Amino acid sequence: MSDLAVVPSTPLLLSEHASLVDPVPQVRTAALRAAAWLVARATGPVLLVCAEPLGARVGRDLLAAAGWAGPVDDLVATAAAADAGDADPLPGAVLAVADGTARRGPDAPGGHDPRAAGFDERVEQALRDGDPGALSRLDQALARELLCAGAPVLRLVGRVVPAPASSWLDLAEDPFGVRYWVARWQGGAAGRMRAPTRG
Amino acid sequence: MMAIVNRTPDSFYDRGATWAEDRASDRVARVVAEGAEIVDIGGVKAGQGPAVDVEEEQRRVVAFVRRVRAAHPGVVISVDTWRAEVARAVCEEGADLLNDAWGGYDPRLAEVAASYGAALVCTHTGGMTPRSVPHRVAYDDVVHAAVRATVAEAERAVALGVGRDSVLIDPAHDFGKTTFHSLELTRRLGELTGTGWPVLVSLSNKDFVGETLDLPVGERLHGTLAVTALCAQAGARVYRVHDVVATRQVVDMVRSVTGHRPPARAVRGLA
Repeated sequence: MSDLAVVPSTPLLLSEHASLVDPVPQVRTAALRAAAWLVARATGPVLLVCAEPLGARVGRDLLAAAGWAGPVDDLVATAAAADAGDADPLPGAVLAVADGTARRGPDAPGGHDPRAAGFDERVEQALRDGDPGALSRLDQALARELLCAGAPVLRLVGRVVPAPASSWLDLAEDPFGVRYWVARWQGGAAGRMRAPTRG
Repeated sequence: MMAIVNRTPDSFYDRGATWAEDRASDRVARVVAEGAEIVDIGGVKAGQGPAVDVEEEQRRVVAFVRRVRAAHPGVVISVDTWRAEVARAVCEEGADLLNDAWGGYDPRLAEVAASYGAALVCTHTGGMTPRSVPHRVAYDDVVHAAVRATVAEAERAVALGVGRDSVLIDPAHDFGKTTFHSLELTRRLGELTGTGWPVLVSLSNKDFVGETLDLPVGERLHGTLAVTALCAQAGARVYRVHDVVATRQVVDMVRSVTGHRPPARAVRGLA
């Protein structure tokens, strides 16, 4: 059985960047709820999957805020790791820190790219449907062009997290031109287990 | 922010703009809307001018305090007076803070604050008589003198029963001081904040700013804000001001630079 929570990697979630008025109240609330849901179900170490050190800090902050005092194992989703030949399904709780594209609208960090919305929509469909296969097949080259920092994380998740019994896309928004997601996959004891995609 | 509200016909900056009670009341409403937590009501011009006796000062401020108390239950009402009789009357009407701008000239003022549970501003004037103009004043060290006098007055007030968290100290720029003294107080304000007592600064449009920049009263805002910034960096807590909005912006900005206040809403480069 494996449970997954996907949360954004934005440094706006770090306490050191707190403002008097929270610029991302819904994102923060949803991310904290997802982290709390994950740690409430965790029976062993939480596996923290992220693409770079910033994501790891955001993930650890959220876990701490959710009251997690247990062990955290890090898995850095480099392009190489995401593409590595074999990947065994992971049991336990997985927190994936991953953003979508950063090219949504003229004020986006990477400027606007008309392909960004479609790319993000494909990810959202996979998160909503609990479809690891679709995540494992994400076009990594296009993701790089669209500044989708979370793509290697999502690809790795698609390869190591089995298909869930239930899945929810709690939040998908882009207040500053970067797509943020909060999603949860709840593993089930029976059925729907899929073999991980082989590279 | 402590906003100045004058019930005087002759104060140096506003020259009677809020002499009429309704005008003063309008100013209170405006500064409260602008975010002032404290209004400082004064009935006697600090500088030289026609005599104002106790009865006249009470006529100017007591009923007005009652009116402000009724209209703004949440605002802290300060009254700028050196007279215990006036202090007692305004405390009866709900004043919260006594701004003893003449530095304990009337030692009974602290007793009034204690008996009413009011707060007190302890000020350094170098022993000046109220409303006198400094003439060839000299200090071995003006900052040491200000620290010594204000801390002694603060301790005396606490000993008389004023709450320890209800005392502010004010080095009183311009009062009993030359421009050089006020500049030095500003430069070394950290020695005042270093005492641990919360420091009030009253800098707004004062002569030391005007003399430093060679500017008349109406043109001292930028100079005022410059010294405000330095005092904010040194940790001043209360600012007695004419211009609430500008001062608030400067103090907020400085406190964010010094790490004492988060930005209002920072997303630049963090999406």
